Amino acid sequence: MLILKLALRNVLRNRRRSLLTIISMGGGYFLLSVMAAMTEGSYSNMIDLFTRDHTGHVQVHYGNYLTRPSLYKTINQSDLIISNLMEKEQVIAAAPRIYGPSLAYGKSKSFPANVIGIHPDYESRTTLLSAKLQQGVFIKEGMNADGYYPAMIGVTLSKNLNVTLGDELILISQGIDGSIANDIFQISGIVGTETSHERLNVYLSLSAMSQFLSMGNQVHEIAIRLQHQDQAIDFVNKMDKFKLHRSLTYEPWQVVESAFFNGMKADKTGNYVSMGIIIFIVAIGVLNAILMSTLERTHEFGILKAIGTRPMGIFRLILLESSLLALASCFIGACFSLPVNYWMAAEGIPMPTPIDMGGVVFETMLGEVSVFSMGMPTLVVLFSTLLVSVVPAMRASQISPTEAMRN
Amino acid sequence: MPYKILVLTFVYLISSGFVYADDKAADLLKKVDELYRAHSAVATMEMKVVTPNWQRTMTLQSWSRGLEDTFIRILSPKKDRGVATLKLDKEMWNYFPKINKVIKVPPSMMMGSWMGSDFTNDDLVREVSLVEEYHVSLYEGNSIYTLVLMPKNDTVTVWGKIEIDVVKNSLMPIEQRYFDEKQQLVRSMVFDKVKPFSGRLIPSRMTMIPHNKQGNSTTVEYINMTFDETLPSHIFSLRHLQKRFN
Repeated sequence: MLILKLALRNVLRNRRRSLLTIISMGGGYFLLSVMAAMTEGSYSNMIDLFTRDHTGHVQVHYGNYLTRPSLYKTINQSDLIISNLMEKEQVIAAAPRIYGPSLAYGKSKSFPANVIGIHPDYESRTTLLSAKLQQGVFIKEGMNADGYYPAMIGVTLSKNLNVTLGDELILISQGIDGSIANDIFQISGIVGTETSHERLNVYLSLSAMSQFLSMGNQVHEIAIRLQHQDQAIDFVNKMDKFKLHRSLTYEPWQVVESAFFNGMKADKTGNYVSMGIIIFIVAIGVLNAILMSTLERTHEFGILKAIGTRPMGIFRLILLESSLLALASCFIGACFSLPVNYWMAAEGIPMPTPIDMGGVVFETMLGEVSVFSMGMPTLVVLFSTLLVSVVPAMRASQISPTEAMRN
Repeated sequence: MPYKILVLTFVYLISSGFVYADDKAADLLKKVDELYRAHSAVATMEMKVVTPNWQRTMTLQSWSRGLEDTFIRILSPKKDRGVATLKLDKEMWNYFPKINKVIKVPPSMMMGSWMGSDFTNDDLVREVSLVEEYHVSLYEGNSIYTLVLMPKNDTVTVWGKIEIDVVKNSLMPIEQRYFDEKQQLVRSMVFDKVKPFSGRLIPSRMTMIPHNKQGNSTTVEYINMTFDETLPSHIFSLRHLQKRFN
């Protein structure tokens, strides 16, 4: 207790120096915290936009459909599985899909098209497809007034085929029963941009698609949207443990979009390097402040030694002083960075030129308030303070009283 | 005595697997070749395609004129009713009534499957005369003859060898085996259910078994067939292909 009192008194004795130390360390904390918040925030925003583009947070397939897709690897009784999934707390929405690569005929030309059967309602709740509608209306279940099933077509494909809203679209594919699937659809909407994922896609309603390919209550994929993207791996592990449907494979977006995930991981590593540089600068500042304050007080330590203080006592005293300073600067740093981070999470920094990520516009750089963005700087400041204090503290504790008092 | 037995056995062994004179082989092949052939034929048949993933039964009606021209129309299932194929000489078209489109089968698709079956488009188009295109030799077994067909130098074919088993007393084919150029068995066609149609006796059921696709087979069974009727020539035209049919 005495030592704490001593340390506190030492800190408060030279207020100006203590304040400067606190400000420099607090500034370091602030920088680190804001930077962490920005990185985490913009990554999680980007992941959010990316996964909501079309992937979803978790995907369900039959067996190894993801690596070796086949028309026959279907999830049977999809209705039941979806309603089961929807009962789970973390699940916001689940979208079933049927894939059927086809040949599309416009007025005079033909092009290959990636035809996807979707549940219009569930798909809008899971992904941002409905936000990417450029012209016309989103597809609905059932036939339209003219007796056609409606279809949505990607911008590039519509240009290639020279078709627009209201035109007939002929599709030829292979049915699941080996027959040649062929039918006429009517274009009700045009989606995406020329760079987006859906530029060469055709979307049909689930019922139209299963009729087209002669399928029953089967789908190829279920994309799940969770409350937050970071729940994906956890959710997959939980589903794997239950093993309700042995033949089904659950995969998080990290696996489904592994190229994107690995690229992002590499980018993140680059960010940690610059964060490391900031940490280093902060630590140098702390070292400077602590070193100065111990050197200045060499005489004082000599007296302490002379009246019988053990070296360990002095060592502990100095470490305690710097810990007190570190705690104070963390508090000050948090006081400043917390509101800034909150503001960034809520408002964000508008980007001078918005980035178009495949039809979804990425306009603001968002921050994030998380355990990481507040806790990481605290640990860094505390740990680096203790680390750099060890050397001056050892020096002070080893000093011989006569020599120290001569100074 | 043992010497005599040895000689007899030897003679027997030789004669049992003896390669007959080419004339006899060619005659037999010609007979097999012309079994299903006529100036014209109209047939109704059932095609059953079995794969590990699905199976499907179709009823087809076909009109053929000589070797060159064939017109096939699917009668059932309902979903495919009216889908038709026209083959004129070496060209082939498919017609889909739902989308009212005629699609020419390109040469690159000739080895592709016809309507999901184990028959290729080429099987339908290339009804070549085996006698003209292959060298034939005959091996005699206990109850069957085996015709071994090797392609002539200028024959365009994917097969390295074809073997046909023919029952000795009825002279009906029972199995036809197709080998590739490495002499690997690729597929077999089994003939059975010999029935009379318009006074001709022919095997009414043919089963194609591809050996490179486990669990797949296609069975074609003739329900009825008439030969040598005079068929109006408009049947074998693109216009007829596109004609509405209910």
